[in-house]
Order: sequence, then C-alpha cells, then structure tokens
Amino acid sequence: MNFPAFQKSYGRRTVLAMPDFALEPGRVCAVLGANGAGKSTLAKVLAGAVPADGGQRVVPARVTVGYLPQRSFPFRMTVRQNLLVTGGGRQRAEELLSALGLSPLADRRAALLSGGELARMSLARALMRPCRLLILDEPTAAMDMESTVLAEGLLQRTCRETGRTLLLVTHSLQQARRTADDALFLHRGRLLEQGPAGRVLYQPDRPETKEFLDFYGS
Amino acid sequence: MGKAFEQAAALILSGDRELWSILAVTARMSLCSSLAALALGVPLGIWLGACSFPGRRALLVVNRTLMGTPPVVCGLLFYLLFSGVGPFRRLRLLFTVPVMILAQVTLITPLVVGNLESYVTAVAPPVRETARGLGLPPWKVFLLLVNECLYPIFSVYLLAFARAIAEVGAVSMVGGGIAWKTNVMTTAIMQYTNRGDFSKAIALGIILMALSLGVNLLVSLLQGGVRR
Amino acid sequence: MKTNRLLALFLVGMMLLALAACGGQPANSPAPSPAPSSDPKEAVSPSSQSEAAPSGPVVNTVILKEADDQMINTYTLLAVNPGAPFTDANGTPVSDVSVNTSGAAALIQWLLSEEGLKMAADYGVEQYNDHLFYLLEGAPVYEGAIEKATEETKTIRLSTTTSVNDSGLLGALLPVFEEQYGYTVEVQSAGTGKAIAAAKYGNADLILVHAKSQEEAFVSDGFSYVLPGFQSERLSFLYNYFVLCGPTEDPAKVAESATVLDAFAAIAEGKHTFISRGDGSGTHTKELSLWPESLGITQEAASFTVYADWYRSANAGMGACLVMAEEQKGYILTDKATFLTFMANGGKVA
Repeated sequence: MNFPAFQKSYGRRTVLAMPDFALEPGRVCAVLGANGAGKSTLAKVLAGAVPADGGQRVVPARVTVGYLPQRSFPFRMTVRQNLLVTGGGRQRAEELLSALGLSPLADRRAALLSGGELARMSLARALMRPCRLLILDEPTAAMDMESTVLAEGLLQRTCRETGRTLLLVTHSLQQARRTADDALFLHRGRLLEQGPAGRVLYQPDRPETKEFLDFYGS
Repeated sequence: MGKAFEQAAALILSGDRELWSILAVTARMSLCSSLAALALGVPLGIWLGACSFPGRRALLVVNRTLMGTPPVVCGLLFYLLFSGVGPFRRLRLLFTVPVMILAQVTLITPLVVGNLESYVTAVAPPVRETARGLGLPPWKVFLLLVNECLYPIFSVYLLAFARAIAEVGAVSMVGGGIAWKTNVMTTAIMQYTNRGDFSKAIALGIILMALSLGVNLLVSLLQGGVRR
Repeated sequence: MKTNRLLALFLVGMMLLALAACGGQPANSPAPSPAPSSDPKEAVSPSSQSEAAPSGPVVNTVILKEADDQMINTYTLLAVNPGAPFTDANGTPVSDVSVNTSGAAALIQWLLSEEGLKMAADYGVEQYNDHLFYLLEGAPVYEGAIEKATEETKTIRLSTTTSVNDSGLLGALLPVFEEQYGYTVEVQSAGTGKAIAAAKYGNADLILVHAKSQEEAFVSDGFSYVLPGFQSERLSFLYNYFVLCGPTEDPAKVAESATVLDAFAAIAEGKHTFISRGDGSGTHTKELSLWPESLGITQEAASFTVYADWYRSANAGMGACLVMAEEQKGYILTDKATFLTFMANGGKVA
C-alpha cells in the first residue's frame, strides 16, 4: 500500500512533511514520536479527517479506512448500541464486547463510562466494520495495564486474521515493541526512520531516534 | 395577597366562557407555533451547526439579526402582507389564528436555529470525526447528531413556547385581539389594563403564569426521561 | 441537576406570589358612586366637588368637569365604501379589496333600528346607575327590513375605538343582533386613528368612531358612502361626554371655571401636570381641540416639547393613562365609561 509524499500546514507553520512511504498489508505499523512530532496529524490526514495541503488525496479511493481519533466520542446510547450503530452486526459486537471485557457493561449508558472503559468501548467500536487500513490514535492511552494487554492481543490477532493494515499511533515505546511489525519515527514533523520494528525500535540510524529510545527504553 | 389568587381561581371556576375561549386560542396558537418553529428550526440549526459551506457565516449573521427582530416589526410586516390591500389579501387571513401562528413562527424559528446551532457547533466536530472514522454514511451522521441534541431540544422548545405564549406585539397586530376568535392571554391582559380593569388583568396574568409553569413542568418531566 | 430544578420552581413560585401581591387590593372595593344622573342638557353648569368619592376615597382622581357642550363626544357609524380609492403601503392603487357591504349595512340598519337605539341608550344604567350614552337628537332611524346573513356575508368586521369597546356597549348589543340575523361581528378596537387606518387598509367593513375631523377626512377621501335609505355617510347616533378629571385637591380650580376651555387654560396657566393620551385616539383629538390656541399644541411631539415639565404625552391606552394621572396627581381627559370602570375596580394597581 503506497502513499505519495504530502505536507500539512496550519497557517504558515508546516506541522508535517511526509515523503512517499508504504505500508505492508496484514501488519502492524507503529507511529512513534514525542508530543508534537506530528503523529496525530499523520493519522488525521490518512483518515481523511483533515485535508493535506492543496487538498491532495493521500489514501487511494479504493482503500477503505477506519479511524479511531484520540478523543473518541461516546454516542448518547448504551455501550452495545454504540457498537451496533456502525452496522457491523450483532455477533461481531458480542465477540468484541467479550474480547475487551465489556460484556458486563454492555447495557450501561456510554456517557457514564470511566475513562478506561470508554477507551475499550471506542476500540471495540472501531473494530466493528471491515476495512483495509485501520488507523488508531493512542487507543490504549487511558487503559490500565490489563486492558492494554487485552487490546494489544486483539489488535495483533485482527490484523493476522483479516489481512488489515494497522497504523498504531502511540507514544509508548514498550507498546510499539510488544505489538508492531514495522515502525515509523517522526520528529518535529519529519519522518526520520521507517522500517521493520526490529531495526527502528532497537538499532536506529538517526541520533534523534537513539535519544528517544534511550529516554523511553530505560 | 391571596385576593388576586382567589380571583384567578374564581375566574377559572366560574367557567367564564370568554376565559375558556382565550385559553383555547392561546394554547392553540402557542403550541402550534412553537412546535412548527421547532420542526423548522431543528434541522436548520443542526445543518448550520454541523455543516460547513460557503455562505454559512453570512447565514449565521442573518439568523442572529432575525433573532433580534422586534415583534412589532414582524407583526407590521404580516399586517401589511395580509391586509385588505396587501399582496396576500385573497387569502383573507388577517385577524385569524393561522396568521398569528405564521408571525410567531417567523419570530421563534431564528431563536431555535440560533440556540441549536451554538450547541451543535460545539458537539458536531467530535461526533463527526468519530462517526466518519467508523465509516458511517452522512445521513447516519446527521441522525447521530440529532440524537445528541435530544436533551437541548427540550430546553430550546421551552424557550420557543415561552416566547410564543408571552409575545404580545406581533399577535395583537395581526390577530387584532378579536374576542372569541383571536384574543389570547397577552392581548386580553393588555385590553383589561387599558380599560383600567386591573384585577382581571392580574387574574389573567396569574393564570398565564400557572399555564406556563404547567407546560414547563411537563416538558421538564419529559426531558428527565431522556437518558444521557 | 435536581437542586437546579427545585430552584427554578421556587423562582416561578416567587413570581406568582409577587404578581398576587400586586393585585392585593380588595377585589370588591366599593365603587365611589358617580354623580347622580341628571339630564345632561341641564347640567352644563360647573359640577361641584360633590363628585368626589364620598368616604375614604380609594382613588384620588375625580371627575371635575363634565357635561360641558365642548365636551360632547359623538359616536358615528360609517360604512366602508367597496369602491374606495384603496392603496397599498406603497401607494399603488388596489381595486379588488373585499368589503362585506351587505353585512355592514345590516349591522348599521339594526343599530339604528328602534330596538338597537333603545338598547344603546339604556346601556349601563343597571350597572353604573348612570347613562353611559345618550341618543343624539335627530339621529337617523331605520325602519325597513334587515337582511339575514348568508354564507358570504356572515362575518362582519367592525373596527372601533377602545372607548366604545371598553364600555362594554358592543358586548351587550352585538349578541342580540348576531342571534337574530345570523351574523358574526368581529370587533377590533384601537384608537380612532388606528380604527380608521384599519378601514383604509381594507381590514374593516364598517367603523364606529368619535372624532369628527377624522371622520370628515375619511368621507372626503372617498372611503365611505351613503347607504340606501340614509342621508349621509356619517351616521352619528350616540353621544356622551368626555370628563375632565384630576386630583381631589384641584390645584387649578378647574371645577370652578366657567367652561371647560377656561379649565384647560387654567391648567396650562398654572403648569399643572396633565396626562395626554398622545396616541391619535378620539380622546386625544378632543383634548387637542380644548387647549388655548396660543399654546399651539398638536399631535406633533415638537409642538409640546416646551411644555414637557407639565404636559405628559403618554402614548398609551385610557386605563394606563388614568393610572398615570392618579400617581402623578395630574389632570386628564377621559371618556366617562372608561373612568367609571376604572373607579369600579378601585383604580389602583397596588
């Protein structure tokens, strides 16, 4: 899956300048970087939530994209209805609810969930419908360790089984190391590294990446 | 202090036929106009709040201006339009309840639109981002937005109803306050006041407030049934 | 959330109580009995202080001057001419204005029939122990047949002045007419100026007003016509008197002045507070004609700005103006019917 080079600016400030790059189907690609590196902007542009400069189309039209924004909105209904509203089917909903430990909460109003519960519901909801490219922006940031592990397992399984490409935006190096097959490293709006996770996350080429790894990896 | 209450109660209990006619016309006019304004204003407000298109800002400015329309200006406009010499004279609508409703809808709809628009503007971006991320079609996004607005819709309705039942400038102009036909609480209160019959005016005022309280309680009860 | 709602309820309750407190005056306070009814033709002499409420007056405003020839208030019926030179708001002629001519004719014929005239003349005697209206000598009387309503003619739009409507005269008369002939009379009441304007805009089939000069202009502009069987466009049939009211203390001594013109001159001379309707109503028109011409007071605001310290133009209905007069201890010109209702209700808001 190939993407052309693009830029994204807010006003005169360019927040992201991407060269052309590729993602492998059926694999998990982690997007790493410090706050403000441009991770969420990359996710938004690929998801079509914001246009790239010049209104350029980055993801080809035939590729169906699923996107979970960093602050996902709980619709004013129950947890189960939040999943069903996507039209992904009753059976799929029950599978996902139980996979993320949400079954006991299924009839709770979504607005009344705690932060971690809401994060789990949002992830389950994002996985309801089939798509070629799934972009998740910090899906586990609000989850406790137990839920995070459940979620990561579910994501890896989903990718293997359905051949989906997963772009996982995360600030957690540990999560990237546990889950990702490939990795992109962003620094101040530039793509510094891309390649297999084994290389980028352990033996990077660039000093900025090394610094990041040293800081978070210890 | 109880005297005015007593008189209001006596007025109701006496089964004064004119009072019942006034109440019936008031109820018909304010319910119809507030509901019609809601039916028009809700989709418009959500559309203005949720969608971005060229001219949206201009429309918002127009709406905010209309929100401040003095009722008498609106009344005058409809008076001239439906007058015996006006362009719509053949409809013979002047001094009828329908034209009062029409004037009221014109006054209230911008309020509904404006209030809903400011709510939707705040809630629409996260809803839309989430819903689009889930690959939902536009009509479903719209329905989800309506669903999010259910709670404020009740408050907006109360505002619309309050305005409809309390308004006097426009309805006295296009309705004429004709007894048994277009006389509503506010125009009747005005007439009694002009006549110097203050006790009856106050009794009517109390009934009007009680009516308003009743509708408020009912709508609040309904709103309490809307779950988060 | 719960507390918010309780608070809101509490506030509404407080508002209701406040409103009730405003109406706290005894609902049935004894109405100061008006002057004993006398034949108006004899009562031209200045009326005395005996007009004041007999015991512990609730209302300080009393009738100081009435039954003066200058204060005759004549009510006139005018049928709206369907062929009148109607124009819309831009002044463009409009030809097809619908006017219910036969309905208007039927109502006028009935009001001027023996039955109608008698009912009008007797109105108010029971309630106020006083005539509110008198029959005009030589008023046209109709003796012919009156057409019954048909589907097209059954709604009659009568535009009249607030004083007629507020006196309750129409409320007493019209049901009798409606029952007998099957019409529905829709009464809109406004000041004479507005009532005439409504007819000019094609919103009335007939008018019942009390301002001669405005009526004559209405006729000469072609908006009225002579109904078959009558002599004139203006069918004057009832009259009563405007009354000059003021505080019981009567600082301008108007009760002692020979004529009402002297009374008005005295008010202006002493710069005593005067409340003017200021709304182009018949009462206002009459009031303007009673000031000494040298003052130059007209409808235009510019004409009385120099008198602003005592001449208050209220632009409000009769009742509201009476309250102002009461509060400010001012003089006021009012029709008698409204004043009697005002008195009957204790005349106070608080």
